[in-house]
Parts: sequence; C-alpha cells; structure tokens
Amino acid sequence: MSLKGKRILIAKPGLDGHDVGAKVIALALRDAGAEVIYTGLRKSAEYIAKVAVDEDVDVVGLSMLSGSHMELVNETMRCLKEYDAGDIKIFVGGTIPEKDREALLNAGACGVYTSEMPLEDVLSDIERQLQ
Amino acid sequence: MTRLDPRSRRALGRTLTKLASASVAESLDHGARQPTSDRDTTRIGFTGAPGAGKSTLVSRLAKRRLAACRDQGGIAILGIDPTSPLSGGSILGDRIRMDNIVNEPELYIRSLSSRSANDGLADNVADLLDALDSHGFCEVLLETVGVGQAEHAVRHAVDSLVMVLQPNAGDAVQAMKAGILELADIYVINKADLVGARKTASEVRGIVQRHRDTRTWLPPVIEVTQDGEAGLAELDDAISQHLDWLSKRRDPTETRRLRRRYHVQSLIVRRVAELLGEQPQLLDEPTLRDTYRKALQTLAGDEAATDPEARRDTW
Ligand SMILES: Nc1nc2c(ncn2[C@@H]2O[C@H](COP(=O)(O)OP(=O)(O)O)[C@@H](O)[C@H]2O)c(=O)[nH]1
Ligand SMILES: [Mg+2]
Repeated sequence: MSLKGKRILIAKPGLDGHDVGAKVIALALRDAGAEVIYTGLRKSAEYIAKVAVDEDVDVVGLSMLSGSHMELVNETMRCLKEYDAGDIKIFVGGTIPEKDREALLNAGACGVYTSEMPLEDVLSDIERQLQ
Repeated sequence: MTRLDPRSRRALGRTLTKLASASVAESLDHGARQPTSDRDTTRIGFTGAPGAGKSTLVSRLAKRRLAACRDQGGIAILGIDPTSPLSGGSILGDRIRMDNIVNEPELYIRSLSSRSANDGLADNVADLLDALDSHGFCEVLLETVGVGQAEHAVRHAVDSLVMVLQPNAGDAVQAMKAGILELADIYVINKADLVGARKTASEVRGIVQRHRDTRTWLPPVIEVTQDGEAGLAELDDAISQHLDWLSKRRDPTETRRLRRRYHVQSLIVRRVAELLGEQPQLLDEPTLRDTYRKALQTLAGDEAATDPEARRDTW
C-alpha cells in the first residue's frame, strides 16, 4: 500500500503557533509517496478550502492544538461544499480530547489522529480512507 | 458562473490533476481530442537554483502584473517541486511563499511535482500549459525545480525566461562563462540586500555584454530585494519590454515547432523509461546494440502510439 499519486493539504487553522506536529505528518506522508502541500500557520477555514480546491487535493489534514476544533471542522466543511468540493475529505490531528473524537467523526471528519497514536497507524488509516 | 469562480476553479483543478498524472498513452489520447490551444497566453518562466528566491519573487511579481491582467483573464502560477525518487512523494513548498496573494480572485496557483521528469519541469507540463491557455488566463508564470538542465527545457516552454541568481553564486557565474546559461532573456540578482550583490551583478553583466553582438536582445541584469519595490518594478518593465520585442520578431511556426519538439521528445524519453521498466528482459540481450534494436522494435509497435479508435478494434 502507498499514498502514491494522492494529493494532501496539511493546514494549520486557529491561533496557536506550533507546527512541529504538522511538519512531522507532512514528511511522513511524503515518505509514503504522497504529494504534500502545507499552508503555514494561522489560516482561516475559507483560505484552507480555497487552497484545497485550487490544488485539487484528495484530503485536507487540519492540525490543531487548541480549542475550537469543532467549529473549524464544520466551517472548513461548509466552505468546501460551497465551492462544489464537498467530496474532499478532512482529517483532524493534534491534541484532541477523547470526548470530542466521536463528535468530530459525526461532523464528517474521516479520521481523528491524536499525537499519542503511532505514525504507522495514522498513515495506514489515511491510506484506507483514500482508497 | 464566471471563469474564476470557485466552481470553475474546481473543474480546472481536476483537469490539471488528470493531465499531470496521465501516462504517455493517455497524454497522446488527450492531444488527439484537444488540439493545441491557439490562444496566445503569455508564458513567463523563472529558473535558478533551489533557494534562490524564485517563489518569493514570482509571488510579488504576480501581484504587480495582476493590475494589467485583471480584466484580461487573470494570472495562473505553476510551481514545480522535485519528486523524491525513493518514495515518489514530494513536499510542494512554492505556495507557502505566495501567501500574500491567495486572496486575489483573479489569481490561480497550482503546485506540481516533477514526477519522472528530470529536466526541471514536470511530466506533461506542455498539456498543463495548454489547459491554462484554454481556460483563458492572460499570463502564466512557471517556476522550475531549478536543477539539472532546467534552462534548456523551460526555454522552449515559455516566451520570456528569467534566471534568478543569488549574490556570490560562483557556480552560476562559472556556468555562464561556459555558455550554459545564455538562454535566459533577463537575469535577476536576487537578495540584493546581501553582500556581494553588486559584484555578482557586474560579473554577470560583463558576461552578457561580451556576447552582445551574437544576439539582438541584450538581457538586462537587475538587482532585486524582497523588501524593495525599485528592482521589482524594473523587472516588471523588462519582462514587458522583452515580450513586446518578441512579438515583433517571432516566427510563430518556429515557436510551434520548438514547442512540439520539446513535447514529443519528453514523451518519447518517458515512454522508453516506462518500457524498460515493464520489460527488463530487454536488458539481458547479449550486446548493447541488440538491446537498443529490440527496444526500438518494441516501441515501433507501441500501444501508446496507436490512436484510441484503432486500439479499441484490437480488443
Ligand atoms: N535576504 C533575502 N532573502 C530572501 C530574499 N528573497 C527570498 N529570500 C529568502 O530565500 C529563501 C528561499 O526563498 P524561495 O522563494 O522559497 O526560493 P526558491 O526555492 O528559489 O523558490 C527564503 O527563506 C526567503 O525568505 C531577499 O530578497 N533577500
Ligand atoms: Mg520555490
């Protein structure tokens, strides 16, 4: 299995200024064969959706450390739909409290990956989602 | 629905993905359905070593040139980054320098991986450029990977070619002396805020001027910094002047031929690589000539060369 030919946007919404986690996952995805685009820090949901559309990615990974993941996922999803791109998937990574996992999945995220998860498990789940 | 609203961008994005990942056979099929665009979108190429500041420069220049292009179809940027030969993956980092222009509605940025191409461009880049032509952009800015023989390949894909150098880029100056970099129309000494810019600029100017009588366009050498407007304005003007000069002299047949030549050459090179991968037994022939002959024979009966209708008959 590999992510060869898949296009993935790693985006950092929200206000926190840490992108170590985002960079780790970006490099791991590249090493699994994906074409990875990275947005840099503090992007709005609208910005992220716009880049996802122009770059025609298969999935957007939202890397988040603090707070408002629910709103950000909902808002990104709303923008993608508005741009005729509701089929672009979203996964969420970072420090996500266990109690929020179910809600994020119900909101439509295809995966929720916390920083404790082994990287191989994250990669193989993303591969499964993109098949 | 206008040409650059989100829904059209969605459709364009998907077309580009399909074209970028097309095999040689698919690319030929596409070419048969879609004759080469006869629109005349201006193409400006930017080449130079990784880290020379190409993406930063392209971003600022796009914003500047958008003023004249806004009502003429807007600007598209293609930024190419290298594919890792080991994993086939890539980090497409050009657009991270283009943050300041993402909100311009008449601008479209697309990141590409080089895939199997090792000439500084990407597989099927000719098809991608044609698709942007057909979509009605006024200008396309193309950023190469900046390694290998990037100058040669990009030369024929674009109208104006800008070579981006850094101060104290000793290698680049050596290469220019050897005549390798004479293909560019404009030289930028970028990061002119760093020491040595003046000296590098005058060295490059010296080389360019020594070749003066052999060319009718004298390539300007322009110092640019990411915080200053003067150099950028000078570059902007130089590009417009070169395009103007070109439009009065260029033979369209010759341009079309050069582009066709690059296109067919890159497809054949890629097809040979595909073939040798698919049929490694070709490499077990007793002599090099046998391998060469067998490979050519196999190519002569190649599926990819057959048009789709005829292929269907044989199924
Ligand atoms: N000092 C200085 N650094 C610059 C300038 N322009 C770009 N850079 C830096 O050079 C690095 C590479 O820039 P980038 O545009 O990504 O180069 P590319 O690889 O050629 O596309 C970045 O860290 C930029 O901030 C400049 O005018 N002066
Ligand atoms: Mg770049």
